[in-house]
Amino acid sequence: MSAQDTVLVVGAGPAGLSAAATIASMGKKAVIVEKEDILGGAPIISGYAKLVPSGEWAKDAIGRMVSRVEGDGNISIHKSAKVTQVAGEAGNFTATLSNGDKVEAGAIILGTGFTHFDSINKPEWGFGTYEDVLTTTQMEQMVTAGQIRCPSDGRVPERVAILLCVGSRDRQIGREWCSKICCTVSTNLAMEIKEISPSTDVFIYYMDIRTFGLYEDKFYWKSQEEFKTKFVKARIAEVTKSPDGRLLVKGEDTLVKRPIVIPMDIVVHAIGMDPNALNPEISRTFGIGLEKHGFIDRAEQYTNSQGTTRKGIYVCGAATGPEDIDSSIAQGQAAGARAVADLYGQQKIAS
Amino acid sequence: MAIHEKTLIDPDRILQHDHLVIDGVDVSGSWNTMITPRTLTDYEEHFEEIIQSYSGGENVHRCWQCGSCTNSCTMYAQNVDFNPRYWIYLIRLGLKAELMKDKDIIWQCVSCNKCTNICPKDVRPEGVMKATAHWLEENGLTPKTLSTHFDEEFTHQCIEFGRIEDTEVMVGFFKRSGQPLVQAWIVEFGKRLTKHMPLGQLTKMGMNVVFRPKTKSWGKTGEVLAEYVKAQKEAAHHG
Repeated sequence: MSAQDTVLVVGAGPAGLSAAATIASMGKKAVIVEKEDILGGAPIISGYAKLVPSGEWAKDAIGRMVSRVEGDGNISIHKSAKVTQVAGEAGNFTATLSNGDKVEAGAIILGTGFTHFDSINKPEWGFGTYEDVLTTTQMEQMVTAGQIRCPSDGRVPERVAILLCVGSRDRQIGREWCSKICCTVSTNLAMEIKEISPSTDVFIYYMDIRTFGLYEDKFYWKSQEEFKTKFVKARIAEVTKSPDGRLLVKGEDTLVKRPIVIPMDIVVHAIGMDPNALNPEISRTFGIGLEKHGFIDRAEQYTNSQGTTRKGIYVCGAATGPEDIDSSIAQGQAAGARAVADLYGQQKIAS
Repeated sequence: MAIHEKTLIDPDRILQHDHLVIDGVDVSGSWNTMITPRTLTDYEEHFEEIIQSYSGGENVHRCWQCGSCTNSCTMYAQNVDFNPRYWIYLIRLGLKAELMKDKDIIWQCVSCNKCTNICPKDVRPEGVMKATAHWLEENGLTPKTLSTHFDEEFTHQCIEFGRIEDTEVMVGFFKRSGQPLVQAWIVEFGKRLTKHMPLGQLTKMGMNVVFRPKTKSWGKTGEVLAEYVKAQKEAAHHG
C-alpha cells in the first residue's frame, strides 16, 4: 500500500481509537502513535470509574475499543513513541517518530486530548496541603477500588463536599472556558459515593449546574432526588482544617445571604480540562494553529469541522476543547471518514 | 414565601399595634405585629451604566453572583450586612431603592482587595464599592467624608494660588466639615509654640495671613487646570 492508503493517528484515547477503527473499516491502513505504554487515553491512564452516560466501567468500555484496534490487521501500533518531525504535504506526509521509525501517510489525525487541571494552582482550596482534599480523578480511583475512606486516617467520611469549576470558568488563572463535563461527572460521582458508602452525605458547591442535554434528569435530578445529594449555591473561599482534624469549607451561601463554615471529611475538586500541556510542541511539530485558549484550532466550523489549519491534518476529541467521551468517539469517526474521503479525492484527481 | 429571619425584614415594613381590633375582634397581644409585603415593582435600567462610569465600576456587568467577593470580604466578617455580591446584583438590575437601604455602610470597604484577587470573572468588586461610594457622595445621598472635605480644600488652594498654606488649609477644612475653629489641641499647640518665642516663625505666619502667598506668574494656569479637571469629570460620567 502506498502512503495515500495510510492515515497516521496520533493519540490512542477514545477519539484516536475511534478514528483508527473507522479508517481500517474502510479498507485503509491506520498507524497509531501513542506516547504512553498503554492504549485507552485519559479514561484508562487516570483510572476513571463508571462512564457517563452508559454507566459502564471505563476499563470495560474503553477496553473494548482498545481490543478492536489491537485485533485489526489494518492497524499497526507504536507505543511509548511521539512524532518528532513531519515533512511533506497532504497526500504525502513523512513522519519521524521518537523511536527512529518513519511513517509515510497521506493524512494525519490528531487525537492528542487534554491535560487535567492541576489543583495546586488553586492553593486556597487545600489540595496538596491537606490529605483529605482530592481531585475527581482520585475520587474515581477510590470508587474503582470500591471503598470510600479518608486518606488521612482511613475513617468512613460522614460528609463529602464536591467543589465545581476548579480550573474552569476562572479569569484569575486564565481558564475562561467551561470544561463541559465536570457537573455531570460530579453528580455521577455523588451517586457512586452514596452507593458504596450509604452513611456518607454528599454536598455539591456550585455557581451554575450545567448537566447539558439528557444528562439533566439522568444525573442532576437523579442524584438530587434518589441519592439525596445536596446542592449549595456557593463558591468556596477557602478550605482549612479545624482542630479536630476535619476540613472546614468557608464561603457565602448566596441564597441564604449568610456566611458558612461547614465541617467536611473529604473535599473533592471537580477539576477541569486544560489544553494538552504539549500543545505548543504539537503545534510546532505538525505546523498547525492553536485557538486562543490553547486548544487545537479548526479549519472551518461547518464544511471541514475536523480539519486543522493545515491541509491533510485533522483533529478530533478533547484536543479541540473540553469534550465528553461520546462526542470524542463521534468526532474520531468523522475525522477518520473525512481523512479517507479526502485521500480518495486526491487519488481521483491524480489518475 | 416563608420568612426565615427577622433581620431580613426591613424595619419600615413592620407594623406594630398596642391594641388591634379586626372586624370587631380584639386581637391585641399575639396578633399585634403585621408585616407589609415587599414587592419589587421596577428596574432602573441605566443604573449599572451610571456605576460603570465611575472609576473602578467598569467591570460590574461581568458578575455572575458566585459570592466569592462576599465570602472573602474583610468587612463581611465584621458585619454580614456588608455584602458586595448582593449590592452588585442590585446595581446590575437597577434596584436602586434596595441599594439605598445600605448606603450608610457601603463606604466602609477597607480596600483590602481580597475580593479582587479571588473573583473568577475579574469584576474587581473593590472598585465597584469605591465607584458606588463616589456615586452616593456626588449625588448628595451620603454626607461627604472628612477626607473628601480635606481633599476639596487642598485642591481648591492648589488651583487658586498654585500652592497651599498650612494654616489656610486647616481653617478651610474646619469650615467645610463644620468643625469649630478653636479646638483644645490647637490652643495647646499655640501655647507651646509661643513658649519658645520663635519670633521669626510667628512673624512669617502672621505675614502669610495678611499677604496670601501665591506661586509666581500663576496667572491663567489655575483657570486652565480647573477647566481640565472639570472636562475630565464630565467625560468620565457622560462620555
